[in-house]
This record gives sequence, C-alpha cells and structure tokens, in this order.
Amino acid sequence: MSRRGYLIKRVLQAIFSLWIIATILFFLFRMGLPDPTAALVTEGLNAEQRAAIRAQFGLEEPLWRQYLLFLGNAVQGEFGTSFSYRAPVADIVWERLANTMILMLAAIVLAYAIGVPLGAWLSWRRGSRADTTGIFVGLMFRSAPMFWTGMIAILIFGVGLSILPTSGMRTLPYDADGWWDKILTLDFLWHAVLPVLIVALYYLGSPLLIMRNTMLEVYGEDFIEMARAKGLPERDILYKHAARNALLPVVTQLAVTIGLAAGGQVVVEVVFSWPGLGREILNAVRTSDFPLAQASFLIMAAFVITLNLLVDILYTTLDPRVSFQ
Amino acid sequence: MKRTLMLTGASIAALTAFAAPGAAQERVPSVEIFTTTESYDPIRYEGAFIIADAWRELGMDVSVRPLEFSTLLDRFYSEQDFDATILGWSGRVDRLDPQFFLGTLDSRQGGLGANNPGGYDNPDYDALYDAQGAEFDVEARQAIVHEMQELYVPDAPVVVLFNRDEVVAYNNTTFTNMNAMAGEALYSEWVPMEAEPLTDRATLRIGGPQEPDNINPLASTSVWGWKWMRLYYDRLVRLSPDVEPVPWAASEVTPVDDVTIDVTLREGMTFHDGEPLTAEDVVFTFNYYMESDYSYFDSYLAAIDTVEQTGDLSVRFNLREPSAPFATITLSQIPLLPQHIWEGIENPGELTPSEIPTVGSGPFVFDRYDRGEFMSITTNADHFHADEINTDAVEFVIYADAEGVFTALQTGQIDMTAWRLEPGQIPLAEENEELTVVSVPDFGYYHMTFNTRRAPFDDVAVRRALTMAMDRERMVNVLLDGRGEVGTSIIAPVNAFWHAPFIERFEFDMEAARAELEAAGYSWDDEGRLQR
Repeated sequence: MSRRGYLIKRVLQAIFSLWIIATILFFLFRMGLPDPTAALVTEGLNAEQRAAIRAQFGLEEPLWRQYLLFLGNAVQGEFGTSFSYRAPVADIVWERLANTMILMLAAIVLAYAIGVPLGAWLSWRRGSRADTTGIFVGLMFRSAPMFWTGMIAILIFGVGLSILPTSGMRTLPYDADGWWDKILTLDFLWHAVLPVLIVALYYLGSPLLIMRNTMLEVYGEDFIEMARAKGLPERDILYKHAARNALLPVVTQLAVTIGLAAGGQVVVEVVFSWPGLGREILNAVRTSDFPLAQASFLIMAAFVITLNLLVDILYTTLDPRVSFQ
Repeated sequence: MKRTLMLTGASIAALTAFAAPGAAQERVPSVEIFTTTESYDPIRYEGAFIIADAWRELGMDVSVRPLEFSTLLDRFYSEQDFDATILGWSGRVDRLDPQFFLGTLDSRQGGLGANNPGGYDNPDYDALYDAQGAEFDVEARQAIVHEMQELYVPDAPVVVLFNRDEVVAYNNTTFTNMNAMAGEALYSEWVPMEAEPLTDRATLRIGGPQEPDNINPLASTSVWGWKWMRLYYDRLVRLSPDVEPVPWAASEVTPVDDVTIDVTLREGMTFHDGEPLTAEDVVFTFNYYMESDYSYFDSYLAAIDTVEQTGDLSVRFNLREPSAPFATITLSQIPLLPQHIWEGIENPGELTPSEIPTVGSGPFVFDRYDRGEFMSITTNADHFHADEINTDAVEFVIYADAEGVFTALQTGQIDMTAWRLEPGQIPLAEENEELTVVSVPDFGYYHMTFNTRRAPFDDVAVRRALTMAMDRERMVNVLLDGRGEVGTSIIAPVNAFWHAPFIERFEFDMEAARAELEAAGYSWDDEGRLQR
C-alpha cells in the first residue's frame, strides 16, 4: 500500500472512532447523569419551573433531534452553551485545555528529559547501588498519590518556608492580553514550579524504567557485540547505538502519556487550584452540564486518537522495520 | 353493663392468645433508606447506618442505599419513589421567615417535584398555613406558627436530625468587627461593609471553593451567584444581621391594606453609570422578572398581582392575597436593575459572559470576574451607605477545594473563609493565634423524611417509634464532633421567635419505641421480626 493510501485509511478510521465516541458520550451522559435541573430542587424550584429551564437548554426536544443537532454542531466545531456558565463551551474548553497542557507538557518534557538518559545510565550500571536507588525513587513517586506529595510540597514550600506560591497560575488579580501573555511571565513560572515538579516526579518512573529495561535487552543484540568488537568507546555504544534502538517503547509511552494529558491530572489541578480542564470536567459531570462534559471528553478523545496516529507514522521513520502494511 | 364489657375484654384477650404465634400477622415490609454517597457527604452517609442499626434492633428489615446526589434528589422530589430519605435544606437567609419551611409539610405541595415529597396530609395544618401567611400581626402570626409545629411534630412525618453549626474563620490581624450572621456565617452581605481593616490594606479578601454559576441576574440559579451579586445590586429592603427587614433602597414601606403596599424610594440614588434610580426602574424590574422565563424568583413574586408607579419615587404593589412574608422575603430578594440597560435586551438568559451588564446601584461596584480564579468589587463612594463602609474593595479568590482555602487562610493570602471549614481544620485554626474561629448555628437542617403514602410509614405509630429509635445525640457527638444541635422542629431553635419551644422531643429510647409499637398492635415473630 502506498504511503498516501495508508494515511487516508488511518484518518478515516480516526474519524469513525471519533463518531462512535461522540455517540457513546451523548447517550451515556443523558442516560447516566441525572437531570441537570435536579439540584435546583434544593433552591426551592418546583417541577414546572424546572421544566422551563430544561426547555431553555433544549432538553425537552426528542432525544434523536438533540443527537442530530449535537452531531451537526460538533462537525462544525460548535459545542453549544454550557448549562451552568451560560457561556459558549468552546471558549471554556480551549482555554482550560491550554492551561492543562502547559502544565502537563512542561512536566512530561521534564520527566522524559531526565528519565530517558537516567534510565540508560542506570542500565549501564545495573546491579549497582545507584541502580537500586534510582529504581526505588522512580517507583516511589510513581506509586505515591499526587494529592499526598502535592500537599506535602505545599506544607514545606508554601506554608513552612513560604517561598513558593501554592495555588493558581498567577498572582491574582492579573491582566493578560491573551493566553500567551498570561504564561510568558516570571510570575507564571513561579506559580508553575510546584505543580510541574509534582507531576514530573510522578511521570519520571515510566521513561526511567522502560528505558532501563529496554536497554538491557538491547545489550544482548549482535550489533552491540559488533560495536564492542570495533573498539568503540562504551559511552558511544551506550548513547549512540543502544539508546537509539531502545527509544521505540519510550516514544509509544510518551505519545500515550501526552494524549491522556489532555484530561489533566484532576488531583493536581485540585490541590494547586490550577484552572485546568480536569477540574472543569469534574464540575461538568457533577452538575450534569452535558454540553461541557461532551465537548471536554470529545476533545480528549480526539487528542488520544490523533497522537496515536502520529506515533504510528513516526514509527515508520524511527524504525524502518515497520512498514505501511 | 360492666359485666358485658369485661366479657368482651376477656374474649378479645382469648382471641389474641389464639393468634399469638403470629399466624394472622404479617411482617412489615422491608424498607430502604436513601442517603448521599460517602464521598458527597460522609455525615449523612454514616447517619443512615446509625439509624438502620437501631431500626433492625426493632425488628425491621432495613437496607441503606447511598445514591449519587442528583439521583437522590430525583428519586425523592421528582419521582417520590422512596421509603425514607435523608436530605437537607440549606439555611438561606430568606428562609428565616417560617413561610418556606412550613410549606414543606403542606399537603398542597405534595405533588411530584414539589417540596413535600413525604406527602404529609393534615387539613388542620394546611388551614393554619394559609392563616399564618395572611396574618400581618407578628404576635398573632407567631402563635399560629407555634401551633403548626405543635400539630405536626407528634405525627412525625419528618425527623429533623440535626442543625449543624457553621464553623468559619478569619484572620484577626488584618480585619476586625467581623460579625457572623445566622445561616450566612461571615460571608453575609454585611461583613464586606462592616469589616474594619487593622492594616493599611482596606481590601477584604475572601476565599472559597464555590463560585457563581454565572453572574447574569436573569440566569443565575445558585446561592453563590446571588451572594456575590447582592453586593452590587441594591434591594428595596435588606435583612439586618438580626434578620429584621431594614428599609434600604426604600425609605419607607407602608401597608395600605392587606393587599396593597406602598413603597417610597430613597432620594438621590444613582446607578453605577450615573443614571438616577427612580420608581420607573423598580416597576420595570419587578415586571421584567415576572414576565421573564427566569423562574428562580417565581415563589417570591407569586404574591404580586401588579406593580404600579405612583410618583417619581413611589411604587404601589397590589397583591393577589394577603402575604405576611412579602416585606421580609420578596422585597429583600429582588435586585433593582437599571431599566435603561435591560429594556433593550430580549433574551437576557442567553447573554454570553462578556455581554452581561453588571451595573447596579449597590454599595459596591462590579470590577471583574475571572472564572475559576478571581472576583472583585470596589466600594461605591456615592452610595447612601458609603460612610458606614470601612473597606475600599472586596476580593474573592476561588480555590478548587477547602484544603486550598485553608492553606490560603494560614498563609495570609485571604482574610476570611466563605464556606465552612472541614472538621480536621477546625482544631488547627483554633491553635493558630492569628485566626479567630466563629461558629454560628444553622437554621437549615438535615432531615429524614418518611414516605407517608407507603407502608409501614403510613402508620403514625411506626413513624413515632422509629423516630424514638434514632440516636440523634450520638450523630451530633460522633458525626459532627459535637458541632451542632439535635433537631427538634423544622423551625430551628436559633430562629427563636418562630421556633415553638414546647414540642415533643422524641428522646432516644428503644424501650419507649417498642412500647409504642406494641400499643399499636405490632408484635415480633420467632426471628424477632416486626409484624402486624
């Protein structure tokens, strides 16, 4: 199959998956979540008043019409109006997604930038004290719940030493001319230190261990033997020959991690009051804000699917053994 | 005569003796207690188990079913498909008037989706409910309200489990004169005005985990929206910290007769954009709300027939029927909107955030609202109350959870909490010398409501016995850490004027519960199961 044919096929598959997901989301929320006006009962609203609000939300329409409307709008990138905020969902989601991605990407890049070379190095020194310590630390942060590490960090650096801010993205209030203006500041960096570190420590374990273990497998391959026989320095063998070949599983892991990052780490966003998408999704589900919940999950799904597609394509470049079949 | 009676007595005794092993009696049906999930509210969740254990001891087959909160509301209110449900009413300040809570036992509110899902039906109670709502004489109304409580309590259609204390805290090194208010604690409409700064910073910083759903006065359906908006919109009347109606934008409220009320506006009031506030704006606001799709204020507005302008600064309200709570509730809850801004807006409920007008006439001027992060208002120097306001601005920082709020309070980033502290935070706050902990009893309540349409709860004896079997003292001590009061009536004791002091208490007493059941003809089978 040609490269072009392969690409078209994969893109069509991706669109089909998205449609399935959109459909499931639409019905899942309507069947699984309670009526969005249910909570208004405690405000003293009676059935008639609640029906009026449901009509405003378009929920009194037949389900199939709601579904067609939703699909039609989604194709045009239009996700409707949030029930509780009464604001266009797209505006909310994109801004929150950007806030989440900046946090997550910074943390993931940090984790992989440290984890990959460190994993390679640990494999080279396997069995040593450094190796055991490295594995232990990686596993420890991977298993420690982030709300706990986060709260400990807040206690030490925020409350105890008072040297780092503990909540939000900026010192409030702030005026920013768009999103970039908001994050291209020292104040933002300052606020990002703790949450980024906590997430990075959590992610560190994966690249570290995957790299280390794959490297150990690669050491047994013939071409390493060959390189040694040629008398290449250990350093070159390690980083130029072995590491490049051990990268494949790490790249897969990285793509999956970035894809899932769109959903954010709700726990971190809550602990550090970070205005991200994860917190928003939680609220949307809690308040049965269907349009907001649908759009958030759909965008997350689109992220995962797109990144998987990219990885598959990237593989063909990274590893010539993978063909377009 | 006497002999015949004795004979009859003897034969009944004989008959009962024959039937003794329980052949003719049937076990009472199994019941389910609906409550919140543990993660939503551990207190109501655990409370259900305490109740279920005691009921099992009485020979009932009981199961506890925690439901996701909105599902719980649906099953209880919309479908009325429940045996017994644990829920709560929040103590919003307008509910200090007994009208709302008393209405939750009115049989005419027993329909699907209305406020009396238990279906308590007592014609005497309903008649008194109408009478108190039309009684303008406060003393006379008080007598009726007391009588209603004395009437319903022995029937036990609903058990008030407890009134929780609201525990909040503020930083005593930055602000003073922080007076908590029943039901509102520190985040009342008065604290932002009364708080006196102790440092150079006269900006009061409030922190909370809740934020408005939106700040559109024609769309917001949450307490958190209105708690903020009321600071920059005036009302005709405000409720004082002692919950007395005080004329606010109105200089005078005069009842002409039972169904006619004249309101005179204060002179010289202006909106934040400089336009004068006149009777026209008031008439416009009430009509605008009555004609709109926005239903949040419907119950407040229901009593109004027409509103007419009678002068530049005077308005007449014509009511459909006499309404005692009109001045306390309706006039204190409806915000005054500027006609010149809103009259051109056709679908106000659909405004996007950037289109929402924020011009009021209130003591504070809207400054900004950054969703999920921050809100602020500045003091309105032109307001008639400006001389009494000690702050120059109020900021509200929005955190993701109570933990974030408390950290901010400890590190001096905020001056007070808008929402109650978590139980674990209270001792920490008390140890901290810079923090003052304030506790005010809530007049909202947690309740267990019986479905009086269903067996076995259709029998008043069962309801009474099961109420006696609730160890509410233990719930308060264990679940609330002692921070609350055992429930007595739907009108809480802290609402002293309306609360009826001499009503049946239903102390926890398993023996009395058994005796109550036996007296009503219930017995227990070989397995100890309750039967009749």
